[in-house]
Amino acid sequence: MAKEVPIKIEHNGAWVQTKMGIAEDRIVIGDPVARDIPYKSVVDLEQKKNQVIITAGSSPEEVYRIASVEKVLQVLKKFIIMSCNAYRLNAYFMSPAIRGGVLVKDAQWEKGAIAVVKTGIWFVSQTNQVCIPLDEVASIDLTSREIQEKDLNVVKIDHLIDNEVVTSFVLCPLTTLQVLYNFLKEATQDSEPAEALDPVTSQVAMLVYSGMDSHAIENMLQISQKELDAIYEKLLAMGVAEVLCIRKEIQLTAKGVRYISDSVKSSTN
Amino acid sequence: MGRILIVDDTMFMRTLLKNILFSGGHDIVGEAGDGAEAIAKYQELKPDLVTMDVVMPKVNGIEALKAIKGADPSARVIMCTAVGQEQMVKLAIKSGAKGYIVKPFQAPKVLEEVKSVLST
Repeated sequence: MAKEVPIKIEHNGAWVQTKMGIAEDRIVIGDPVARDIPYKSVVDLEQKKNQVIITAGSSPEEVYRIASVEKVLQVLKKFIIMSCNAYRLNAYFMSPAIRGGVLVKDAQWEKGAIAVVKTGIWFVSQTNQVCIPLDEVASIDLTSREIQEKDLNVVKIDHLIDNEVVTSFVLCPLTTLQVLYNFLKEATQDSEPAEALDPVTSQVAMLVYSGMDSHAIENMLQISQKELDAIYEKLLAMGVAEVLCIRKEIQLTAKGVRYISDSVKSSTN
Repeated sequence: MGRILIVDDTMFMRTLLKNILFSGGHDIVGEAGDGAEAIAKYQELKPDLVTMDVVMPKVNGIEALKAIKGADPSARVIMCTAVGQEQMVKLAIKSGAKGYIVKPFQAPKVLEEVKSVLST
């Protein structure tokens, strides 16, 4: 018999209180929802503050919004991630490893599992659960990193958290890593910029990335407000930036961050 | 707040770092475009901190770091390099770097790192 815990669940447009049993292979939601959800039927899992959103099929009735205390949600997420219908592998991960271009000094490799669901990548270890929404992924690279005196292949994921660019690493055997890399590349291919930027537009994008405001950009590049507005229009039209406040300030989207990361990588330094 | 020497072979990056550091209240005492110039400027200006690009013409950032640390073991140097070259981190740390920034970077994090290194 599964242990029952109190939860709130969205039902017919309203939040209702009920109980949920977390079993080895399924969750059992009590009245008035009265549903069994096998983990294997779960195709997506999202977390928003103290809620998890479980998608167990393609119809809206199969989307469950559940709110509970963090401890309950952590157990629930772990069961789902380890058994749901997803691309999953055992791996080591480090998240975050770099924040805003600065190395995280106490970052450590954690042993756990990775699951790629419909809208995100989940890292789960004994002590940590990290979700990277796919639409927040800026770039994916297969690269090498020195780990315990050896150069090992890793997958590097750049992603946004509250407009801060964060880098996470995944380590597993090379053949698995290649499969993961290909899978993630395919899952995030929509964020690849379709066209190259001219040098000035590229510099503007880099300065936006670094956090410069319009006034600083105009001064640094010696361009007029009108010229900068035209460049902003171009970045907005390409989908690499979004308006931050009343047309004069923009911030890069995940697609824009990907562009800047790629341009720095492809330059000589 | 610190007196900072910025070393990078591209004017664009130097200008960007200058703006970021200036906005954080730091005093930019000098700039250098390669490692040899960095070593000379360090001796001349004795800054509180150096931001040092790794890949540069003539003398690279690691060699310049070693030279500066050789002359002044208390020198505070933050290395700065492009994404994909993070394997340089260990070499730089072994050579005495106090911090490391990966390009592209974001201003608030750069200022945090500079503040942290200046406090050591």
